[in-house]
Amino acid sequence: MAEQIQKKLQGELEKYQQLQKDLSRAVAARQKLEAQLTENNIVKEELELLDATNTIFKLMGPVLVKQEMEEAKGTVGKRLEYITGEIKRYEQQMQELERRSEQQRETLGRLQQELQRGQGKG
Amino acid sequence: MKLNQLEFVNRKKVESDYEALQERLRTLPNKLSYDIMVPFGPLAFMPGKLVHTNEVTVLLGDNWFSKCSAKQAVELIEHRKKHVRKVLDDLQKVMKNFESRAEFTDLQKMSDVSFGVFLVNCFSNCVLFFCYTGKYRTAHKPHSKPKLSNVFEVDFPANGSDTKSMGHFQSEEELWAHLEELERQEELLGELDRMPNTAETNGEDTSSSEEEKEDKRTDLNGMYRAEDCITQGNFHKEVTNSDLFGGQVNGSTYYHSDDEDDIDVGDNSVPTIFFSHTVEPKRVRINTGKNTTLKFSEKKEEANRKRKNSSGNGHATPELPNIKTPADIYRFFVDVVNGEYVPRKSILKSRSRENSVCSNTSDNSAAEFDDRQGVQRSISCDEATQSDNSESILEEEEEEEEEGQQQLPKKLLPSSGTTEAFSGTVIEKEPLSPSLIPHPVIAHPILPTILERKSEEVLSKASEETPKRISKFKAARMQQPS
Repeated sequence: MAEQIQKKLQGELEKYQQLQKDLSRAVAARQKLEAQLTENNIVKEELELLDATNTIFKLMGPVLVKQEMEEAKGTVGKRLEYITGEIKRYEQQMQELERRSEQQRETLGRLQQELQRGQGKG
Repeated sequence: MKLNQLEFVNRKKVESDYEALQERLRTLPNKLSYDIMVPFGPLAFMPGKLVHTNEVTVLLGDNWFSKCSAKQAVELIEHRKKHVRKVLDDLQKVMKNFESRAEFTDLQKMSDVSFGVFLVNCFSNCVLFFCYTGKYRTAHKPHSKPKLSNVFEVDFPANGSDTKSMGHFQSEEELWAHLEELERQEELLGELDRMPNTAETNGEDTSSSEEEKEDKRTDLNGMYRAEDCITQGNFHKEVTNSDLFGGQVNGSTYYHSDDEDDIDVGDNSVPTIFFSHTVEPKRVRINTGKNTTLKFSEKKEEANRKRKNSSGNGHATPELPNIKTPADIYRFFVDVVNGEYVPRKSILKSRSRENSVCSNTSDNSAAEFDDRQGVQRSISCDEATQSDNSESILEEEEEEEEEGQQQLPKKLLPSSGTTEAFSGTVIEKEPLSPSLIPHPVIAHPILPTILERKSEEVLSKASEETPKRISKFKAARMQQPS
């Protein structure tokens, strides 16, 4: 009886660890996205500061490609939206993962209690 | 907090860099061209000229560049500096928050003075001093680690340097005193206060408790130890502090386990920790003068008890003579009670033996107890809750206990009458009775009504059987003392 419980406990524990890993990965990705978000915001502001006379370049690999001001502004704006969307998605994912890990924790606690009871009796 | 400091420093550096850059940009267009040494690969330089001094290609971020005049570049830099300053301000606000919390513990003053030293020491020393997490219980364990989040903060005051540590001791002691007071207040409402014997045991446990911390019981002892410190002053703490510093490495390992224990125990602390006394049972055995027979009977029941009780030991031990487990207590008292109560005819009969030895009835009552205990345990899911209940009840005065016991008698026949009997007959037992009775008694009121009925039925059955048993046992017992 105790062995069964222990096996179950092991299984649940692994699942919980997996959930935790996923959660940490999601958190890291979200942090990266946040950094990109701030950066793009700065770029947007600086583009505002510049006027049309300057040329704008975009670095694509080893090449600096010339861009139009309007084009650049549009691209940056779109990127910003994309990043915010990604962040929201990750947020939802994180909440889901947290909920599931909470459930796992409960089951783990229950199993542990059962195990202890079983061990106590035996 | 340390992290914040580091970030702060970084940001400052960035800002200063920007300032330098601005200066450079301002002076750059002064000349049409500059003669410079151009880096040529990683190892060489080449003489060259810097032309188009007014044209600057600026990185806007995220792989975006813009070619602009030097003045415009300066403007861009200004804009970026604004951003950095904003981040700096946020960091400062966070720092202030931390500082305000640190001041609460009076440690910040120390840390400010020797911050640099502490930083070094903090990394080297694993011993962490509690800070302001508010988890007094964990803090009580001498130098138990607070939560990880507080690690950084904790490091400041803590310790590591020898000379500093001494100074810290004093401040730490003050903090300990403060913390202890707070904890004491907390626990006044809680269960610790109920255990008068803890002080005695604590003295014994102080040295060994640290080592035993793996067990919850030992943790409890440690808790008690903390209590003792409060009562006895900071002597123990000092001792422990010295021990801690002496064996920092070991201490760290201790504390790791402590932390884990603390974390676990902390959650369960109230119910189970207080009661498990590993030491107390020993004393209990010693105390009982009457115990000879009880011991005998107890041995029989020990097997049962061990199975049933893990937490129960804590309750009964300190106050009850010879009672290692609540079951014992119950038996012990029940015997007395039983004598008075009719439902347990055995009790009546045993009464005569009360004075002589409880053991006579112990066997009889033991069986009853076992039944009851079995019922109780089967019913109660959490020993902790029981213990909590018992503890809470323990705090209450005898009157309450009597009431509780009276309630129980409905479920379990003997209790109410027995309690009164105890108070009247034996003064010594008073402390015991509350501790003894509440444990089994408490379980019942808490248990759902259905369970109570079941217990009643069981008890009634047991009681019916007891007379028969008693007669047999009586004979045996009668022979024993004689």
